[in-house]
Amino acid sequence: MEDGFRLGDRVFGSRLLLGTGKFSSVETMLAAVRASGTELVTVALRRFNRERPDDDICGPLAAMPGITLMPNTSGAMNAREAVRAALLGREITGSPFVKLEIHPNPHHLMPDPIETYEAAVSLVKEGFFVLPYISADPVLARRLEDVGCAAVMPLGSAIGSGQGLATLSMLQVIIRDAGVPTIVDAGLRSPSEAAAVMEMGGDAVLVNSAIAAAEDPALMAEAFAAAVKAGRQARMAGLMPRSETAVATSPLTAFLAGEGS
Amino acid sequence: MTSLDLDVSPWLDLARGAGREQVRQAVAVADPSIREFAILLSPAAGLELEAMAARAQALTRRHFGRTISLYAPLYLSNYCPTRCTYCGFASDRRIQRHKLTPAEMDSEGAALKRLGLEEVLLLTGDRLASAGYDFVREGVARAASRFHNVSAEVFAMTTPEYGGLAAAGCTAVTLYQETYDPARYALLHESGPKADYAWRLDAPARALAGGLRSVGLGVLLGLGDPIEDVLRLFHHAAWLRRRFWSGGVSISFPRVRPQSGDYVADFPVSERQLAQIVFAFRIAMPDVTLTLSTRESPRFRDGIAGVGISKMSVASRTTVGGYAETTAPSSAQFEIDDDRSVEEFCAMLRAKGLQPVFKNWDAVYREPECLTSSAST
Repeated sequence: MEDGFRLGDRVFGSRLLLGTGKFSSVETMLAAVRASGTELVTVALRRFNRERPDDDICGPLAAMPGITLMPNTSGAMNAREAVRAALLGREITGSPFVKLEIHPNPHHLMPDPIETYEAAVSLVKEGFFVLPYISADPVLARRLEDVGCAAVMPLGSAIGSGQGLATLSMLQVIIRDAGVPTIVDAGLRSPSEAAAVMEMGGDAVLVNSAIAAAEDPALMAEAFAAAVKAGRQARMAGLMPRSETAVATSPLTAFLAGEGS
Repeated sequence: MTSLDLDVSPWLDLARGAGREQVRQAVAVADPSIREFAILLSPAAGLELEAMAARAQALTRRHFGRTISLYAPLYLSNYCPTRCTYCGFASDRRIQRHKLTPAEMDSEGAALKRLGLEEVLLLTGDRLASAGYDFVREGVARAASRFHNVSAEVFAMTTPEYGGLAAAGCTAVTLYQETYDPARYALLHESGPKADYAWRLDAPARALAGGLRSVGLGVLLGLGDPIEDVLRLFHHAAWLRRRFWSGGVSISFPRVRPQSGDYVADFPVSERQLAQIVFAFRIAMPDVTLTLSTRESPRFRDGIAGVGISKMSVASRTTVGGYAETTAPSSAQFEIDDDRSVEEFCAMLRAKGLQPVFKNWDAVYREPECLTSSAST
């Protein structure tokens, strides 16, 4: 079954997006990207290094067939900086996608909703497919959708925290009401959490730390890919409804079915 | 906002006498505070270094990945009006002095750039009319035209001056209090502008208020009681984080090194103690950049890279300039212990499963006006 996932003007086969920081080497990162089957990866503009190829994580990804790059604005403290970074990222990569990240606090890296909104308005006008990284705030998600973002990327928990789906109940509201794809980004630790996002109707997940920090990143990337696929399949198959009480497989009232009417 | 409170007396008993069970709990705690930090400084924690190292490594990986950010220092001048007992640049030392000319700033920058570095830390002595704010600002502006990330470890400035450095393209300022013990501070800083303890103590806050993105803090280990000094350092860092919600804080761990004046540390800190302090900071402040310079030996640096430490200097010179052959010779501030080349150091990191990161910032995050000012100043 073809189950493409539309973002902007493209359709992606894989619903697993990868972040590319934190890896022990470029080779390890490329191996994880390959093993994940992802078609869309995000790269921090601050890690582009056109002057020192062995320090550049953009060039090797750009050379991989079947991979679309999505520069991100990590490091930007405000809308002005993010817009400049996005424009430069597009100039270098030619990609129309931008992961809009504005986290003024360099320690907890939580996204700034006000600056993110302002930058999204500008970048949509500049013709980008904007994917804003946000707190799991249903109102902000809809406001960003209304100004033309191509998707919303609410966080499961703090970047790199591995706390999983700490924002679960808010994610459910966002997913239920969203008119654009919802990509759960940040905080995921285990493939089962990625599967859970897909089962509850999320359109995709973005994973970085959980893969980069694993003992075997390529194997973990494969595990996340399998989990995303399984979760999506379960969603498509239609999960049986939850019930608060037991439902016997042989109903106690079956004997009443035989009574003539 | 409450003012900076450096009273660490409530924590000294724990830092000097915590039990092993307290240590085990502190190592694993999910929401660390200064209480855990104090426990982790204790002699009992010194017996649990392996467990502390394992936790420190896991937290470093979580927050910084399997990477080490690299930078190199560039001394702009070693003229200095201050007599710091422990410093090779102190005004009473008979050493070869030099101040980079604008042309030398450029050639030194070019030489560092050829090594592949993208982050440079500019240093000077204390404030002088001939090597003051304008001089530092010019150094920043010239470096910013070449490097993506420029920071400065210079004398304490006013808030507007820090604003000027930020506008010229400076990302961060490093300013060690050296020792937080006012009596020791007075003893060690006999004269000159740096003798003003309070003015220096308030400088990191002025830097963040002036618009710098982050400040680097530290004590020069060996000058004062290390337990009291690092507890106060923790207080200072925590206070800055509360006061400036979007300001970054990083911490360095310099130890007194041999230098021209032959000052010997009154409170010597062993490698084991230094490692314990690094691990304690990583466990108690997991999301803060911890930096180690080439003051330490290759053996120590190799071991602690990624085990708490997330950022390191490489190929450092502590003479004025020292990267380009054309610069006039000068004396060094202190002796370095790790003189490996960039390639040698990176090969070591890679062999340990750590990726050396040269560029982790981008000049696009500077305000556009500073890009034009760098060429004209």
